[in-house]
Amino acid sequence: MALKLGRRALLRGIGGVAIALPALEIMFDGKGAHAGPPGAIPKRYIVCFNGQSLGGDDDPLINDYVPNTVGANYDLKSALAPLAAVQGDVSVVSGLKIPTAFDNGGAIPAGGRSDDFHINSLSPLFSGMRSDPAQTVMGATSDQLVADAIAGSTTFKSLVFRVQAAWYLSVSAPYGRDIISYKSAGAGKKPTPIPATVSPKQAFDSLFSSFVPPDNTGAQKAAELELRQRKSVLDLLDKRTGRLLTRLGAADRLRLQAHLDEIRDLERRIGAIPPVASATCLKPGDPGADPALGGNQGSTFDQNLGYSGEDQRAKVFCDLIHMAIVCDLTRVASLQLTMAQSHLNMFGATGQASDLHEIGHHGLPGKDVTLQMSKAIAWHMKHFAYLIGKLKGTAEGAGNLLDNTVAVMLHEGGHGFDPASGKQWSSHSTENMACLIAGRAGGLKPGKHVVATGKHPANVLVSAMNAAGLATSALGEVNGNVPELFT
Amino acid sequence: MRHRWREPLAAVVLAAMVGCSSDGDLLPPRDPNAKPNDAAHAQTAVVSGARRLTRTEYDDTVRDLLGDATNSGFATLPEDVNDPFDNNYMTQLVSPALINAAETLATNAAKRALADPAIHVKIVPCQPTGPADTDCLRKFIATFGRRALRRPLEASEIDEYAALGSFAVEGNAFDVGVELVIRAMLQDVEFLYRVEVGTEVAGVPGVFKLNHFEVATRLSYFLLGTTPDDALLDVAAAQKLGSPGDIRAAAVTIMANPRARERVNRFHALWLSFHQLPHPPDLTAALRAESAALINRVVFDKPSSYLDLFTSSDTYANDFLADHYGLPKPGSTTGAWVAYGNTGRKGILSHGAVLSAGAKFADTSPTQRGKFVQNRLLCREIPAPPPTTKSDNPPSDAPGNCKIDKYKAHATDGACKGCHSQMDPIGFGLENYDKAGVFRATETGKPECPIDGAGDLLGVGPFNGPAGLADKLLASGELEACVVTQLYRFATGRREATEDTPVIQGLATKFVQNDHGFAPLLLEVVADNGFGFRRAQ
Repeated sequence: MALKLGRRALLRGIGGVAIALPALEIMFDGKGAHAGPPGAIPKRYIVCFNGQSLGGDDDPLINDYVPNTVGANYDLKSALAPLAAVQGDVSVVSGLKIPTAFDNGGAIPAGGRSDDFHINSLSPLFSGMRSDPAQTVMGATSDQLVADAIAGSTTFKSLVFRVQAAWYLSVSAPYGRDIISYKSAGAGKKPTPIPATVSPKQAFDSLFSSFVPPDNTGAQKAAELELRQRKSVLDLLDKRTGRLLTRLGAADRLRLQAHLDEIRDLERRIGAIPPVASATCLKPGDPGADPALGGNQGSTFDQNLGYSGEDQRAKVFCDLIHMAIVCDLTRVASLQLTMAQSHLNMFGATGQASDLHEIGHHGLPGKDVTLQMSKAIAWHMKHFAYLIGKLKGTAEGAGNLLDNTVAVMLHEGGHGFDPASGKQWSSHSTENMACLIAGRAGGLKPGKHVVATGKHPANVLVSAMNAAGLATSALGEVNGNVPELFT
Repeated sequence: MRHRWREPLAAVVLAAMVGCSSDGDLLPPRDPNAKPNDAAHAQTAVVSGARRLTRTEYDDTVRDLLGDATNSGFATLPEDVNDPFDNNYMTQLVSPALINAAETLATNAAKRALADPAIHVKIVPCQPTGPADTDCLRKFIATFGRRALRRPLEASEIDEYAALGSFAVEGNAFDVGVELVIRAMLQDVEFLYRVEVGTEVAGVPGVFKLNHFEVATRLSYFLLGTTPDDALLDVAAAQKLGSPGDIRAAAVTIMANPRARERVNRFHALWLSFHQLPHPPDLTAALRAESAALINRVVFDKPSSYLDLFTSSDTYANDFLADHYGLPKPGSTTGAWVAYGNTGRKGILSHGAVLSAGAKFADTSPTQRGKFVQNRLLCREIPAPPPTTKSDNPPSDAPGNCKIDKYKAHATDGACKGCHSQMDPIGFGLENYDKAGVFRATETGKPECPIDGAGDLLGVGPFNGPAGLADKLLASGELEACVVTQLYRFATGRREATEDTPVIQGLATKFVQNDHGFAPLLLEVVADNGFGFRRAQ
């Protein structure tokens, strides 16, 4: 149950000293988070990821995703059926492709990947940079580039959340399939991965623990005390860690400096001015304990049914992203619904006792494998549509929050030729890719199907970055946007 | 008492005067605990870096410090990379997710501890006279700090923590100060990481002798997976961990701790991939009990050649598990030893827990099982496929085809053959055993597809079933060497490098000399001359 908060004119400052900031009042009129002049309304950027391709092996039905009709009022195929309520706010971009080494005479092309599919599509997909033999993402990702530009003084420069709670395949590890956000580490250096927050409960606590009930001076005092205590503890940690660093060898110093940097970022976050409650900025209900990892009912991870209540986790993360944006705690979020080459058990969504990766590999005509894949995609779309609907349903300025938001849904692959196996209809393909782009930020005109034959998914991300106010003509090595999305 | 630990402060002061050592460290003073053999022993020191506690280590450590059995860290801290061990510090990343979790976990654990009178009395060593009882707070900081940070605190550090006592006065409650100290310590870098500094060994640049407390920490996390207890910290305080002989003696004591069994079991669970099982709770519990019983028997209860783990002719099963396997029921709901007879089973490779490795929800994967045997049991790495080879695509399921046929197609495909011939034939030899270890004569759901169970370990020879595989693995001589390598990875928290080869080979030799005793092997690891040292990365 949401707790409605009164507006707070007093904002906490450094050391818990209350500071009056009446100037901010003009920005909030009680109707929405940002009701000031249009120029004052920030833009928001969301990127979501689905770790699967659009079609199944050997199925000549390349997907049940891309509409037959082009332009507005496109037909909704089974993979996109959950979008019905928000279709007018969501564009489908089809005809996309990430080029391969095979396409380029054996050398990985700019913005392209090596011929082996898994993990190698991630670098071009998220950063526009070609994959490398070490199979890491080679450039900063769009969400982090946008955050650098538009985060402003928000408490959370970006939110990085993942729904799939564990890797699940006991004989291996994700090796990067679990990370979709990377920030720049400086020119000429590999970007720094940002492992996601996986616990919805932790995300809730981090975002909203500073909220206190309205007009409750007791709670206000308790919150103020708690803040001072946290600061004292973090200050002590900061000093102690700094002192320890001087005693360490070079490698450990580097390792623990990264830890100290994060301690300092937490200090900054808790020292930030807390959100101002309004008619729309409300404290969400506490999600409670996270669903058990692996379906385990005991105390250790000794059971692994490949599922940890991801359906519920996804809903909570969408709720948190929505409210964090409403309260201007953040303007940028990445939400990884499933890992690349995902071993999430999809039984609940598809009725097939199979993990997401296996679904695509049940091969051969007559098995309707692409339709099974579409059921799995639709599970992702259900949550994407829920988030879009919540943004749309939140008043802001003269319109709604979605008017100032751009949200993209990316998929790991498409369906078509796989240069590694030579198969014509393979799920291990980055041909015939498609993605979604929703919202009206920056003059986007959503609600249509755009066939962008030969374009790269990163071209759609450039459009989204442009819509969020980042005047760039490229993402990594991929140049240009998709102009039709703005007309 | 609290003035005894002056060394770190002295190190900083002196280092400022004498400049930097060979790995960029500030040069510490000459170690008062230096021994004449240090320079010789330092020769086999291996690289080590700051290791963050794994999720499981974190939970077990909080359990031992605060009597907190909630295992809260597991669900909240970022997932460890199982490579196959969860403690490879080279894969550990820092993130806001980590920092946020550390803060929340520390806060909640502190509150839980103080809400429980039984725990309160254990961790606060005095009865406070009031909120402002600084002496009592300082006593708590010294005793709990030594446990949490795994070394005595300097007086100046105690002063720093004691400053949090101002909140106790403000809140008019002594425990507020205690709570904040616990919160701070459980977020401390020296708590979350096992940080080793040591003292550079004279004449051996780049090698540092660990202090006694650092050795205690290494020992405890390796052998018990948790923080050193008071007794071991006392041994460190008495400076009795400065030589291989002393370390071995301490390890013998540690090995009598029941948690040593859990640790050895954990090593096997991670190594053989049964730390998480894709089965319902009752089967999962029975399978884990089965494997734990065999490991405990071979290592602890009736210590024998570790190779017996792979050749045992009986297994520990309750009626439920015996029925699962089709073995005679022992008439026990808890479990008893049941003879395998001529079922084709032998040792731990016949256990459902191990046969679950690499299984998907639908069925076994001969490729994954073969890879498992190569990587985990023989320490052979299957080379990454060439850039133009598709590596991650299960074979298509042609209607009417038997499963074996599609896998055998790998053998005729030139691009696949090179790697798959090293994996699939091993899996074929285990195909008569399904993903939960139950015998089957035909493929699951395909009675028209008989399974002949004919397997082949490339370069060693044909086999049939897990018993046959165990024989071939032992005959190859590679399994026993691989066990040592895997244990070394577990101990050092990283993959071995070329420089580690002499140490690993030395351990392998001793493993043979000690009639393949596993407990003796653990002792050899910690009693190695280099164990009490670190080499700069």
